[in-house]
Amino acid sequence: MACTCEVTAPDADADLVQALAHDLERSFERVVIAYRAEVVSFVARMLRDDARAEDVAQDVFVRAYRALQTYPVQRRAALRLRSWLFAIAHNLTRNAFRDAPPASDSLEYDDGAARPLLDGRPGPEQLVLRSEAWGYVDDAVARLSPALRAAFVLRYVDELSYDEIAETLDQPIGTVKASAHRGLLAVRAYLEKHDD
Amino acid sequence: MTDPRLRDYRDATRRSTSPDFTTKIFSGIGVDRYTSAASALGDVYIAWSARGLSAVRLAGDDNAFEAWYAERFACRVVPAVEDDSISSAARAKLHGEDVEVPIDLRDCSPFERRVLAKAAEISAGSARPYAWLARELGTPTATRAVGNALGRNPVPLLVPCHRVIRTNCSVGGYVFGAATKRELLAQEGVDFDALERITRRGFRYVGCDAGWFCLPTCGDVATRVDAPGYRLLRTAAEAHAHGLVPCRLCRPIAA
Repeated sequence: MACTCEVTAPDADADLVQALAHDLERSFERVVIAYRAEVVSFVARMLRDDARAEDVAQDVFVRAYRALQTYPVQRRAALRLRSWLFAIAHNLTRNAFRDAPPASDSLEYDDGAARPLLDGRPGPEQLVLRSEAWGYVDDAVARLSPALRAAFVLRYVDELSYDEIAETLDQPIGTVKASAHRGLLAVRAYLEKHDD
Repeated sequence: MTDPRLRDYRDATRRSTSPDFTTKIFSGIGVDRYTSAASALGDVYIAWSARGLSAVRLAGDDNAFEAWYAERFACRVVPAVEDDSISSAARAKLHGEDVEVPIDLRDCSPFERRVLAKAAEISAGSARPYAWLARELGTPTATRAVGNALGRNPVPLLVPCHRVIRTNCSVGGYVFGAATKRELLAQEGVDFDALERITRRGFRYVGCDAGWFCLPTCGDVATRVDAPGYRLLRTAAEAHAHGLVPCRLCRPIAA
C-alpha cells in the first residue's frame, strides 16, 4: 500500500472535527490519514532523523487520541486540528531533542536562539559533499536553533498561517513572526554565501 | 521566499509513513480495527491488531460483531478506513493465496495455541480426526479438549479448524455450523461420499501397494480406493501384514 502525501483543506477539517466530537474511536483513523504525512515530515525536518521521526509521529497521534478522550464534546468540536496536532508534534520533538540531541550539530543548540546561524565552521562532511541545490537549504535549516527552526519550517515549509504557528508554538503572534523572519534571513544569508 | 531551492527542500524532505504506521498507533491507543473480506463463506469480518489477525466472523451485523468482539477480547473494535500489511495478507489468504498471515491469539491458552498451530498444518483437501490432533500433541486422551480449543478458534478459515473432523468421518461441530463445515471441506476437495462408503463398512485405513497406508482423509486417497493398487484396511495389523508402512504425511498410527 502506497502512502501518499495528503493535502488537507481547512474545510475538510470541519467535517473531521465534527466526526471526532461525536465518535472519537470511529473517526480517529481519518485524522491519522489526513495528517500523517504532514506530521512525519515536520518531525523529520525538526529531528533530521527519518528513523526516529516515524516513532515520534506515531507518538504524536497516540497522545492526541488520549488527550481527545479527556476533552468534552464541545472542546473537541471547537478544535483547530492542524495547529493542535503540530503543537503536540512540536512538543514531542523538543522532548526528543532533550533525550537524544543530534550528534552532528549538538554544540549549536545550547544558545542557538541567540545565534540563529553559526557561520565560519565547516559543516559535517556529508553536508559539504551534497550536490543537490536544496541540500544547502537543508544545511541551513540544520544550523538553525530549534526555536527558529520550528518557526521557519512551520511558516515557510509547512506554510501554516501565523495564527496557526502562534497556537502551535504557544507564543504571541509577534514572537512567531519575528522568529520565522529571523530564520528566513539566516537561511537566505547561508544560501547567498553558498551561491556560486 | 520564492527561492526554488526552498520548494525543492520541501519536496525532498517530505516523508511518507510506513504501511503499518496507523496500525501501531491503534495498538498504542488499545483499539482494534475491522473490515470485511471475501472468503469461501462469502463476506466475513476480519479484525486485527498490530500483533496480527485477531478475529474472523461471518459479516452481516456490525453492531453484533463489535459487541461480540468487546465481550470476547475486552477491547473496542472499529471499522478500518485502510488496509495494512496484516489485513491485506488475510484478504489474500481468504482469497486462496498461499501467504503467511500473522495471527493474534491473545486470549488463547498455551494448549489452545498448540491445537490451533497443529490444525494450521493440515492442508486443503485433507482432514484429520480430533483424536489424531490429541495424539500428535502428546495428549492422546484430550480429544474433547482439542474439540473445545478448536471451537474457540478466533480465526476460522485462516486457521482451518474445519479440517478437523471425527474419526468416523462425520464432520463434528463448527462455529458456523456443521453443514457449512461439510460444504467447506467439499469445496476443498474432500469427497464425503467416498469417505462414508469406506467408514460405513468399518475400514479405517487405505493401503497403497507402493508401500504405505493412510487415513482415508489423507489428501484424495479416499477417491482412489477402487483404483488398482489400493486396498481398504480395517486395522494397522492388517497393513503391517501386507508389509505397508504408515504414511509420513498423515501418520495414521502412533509412532
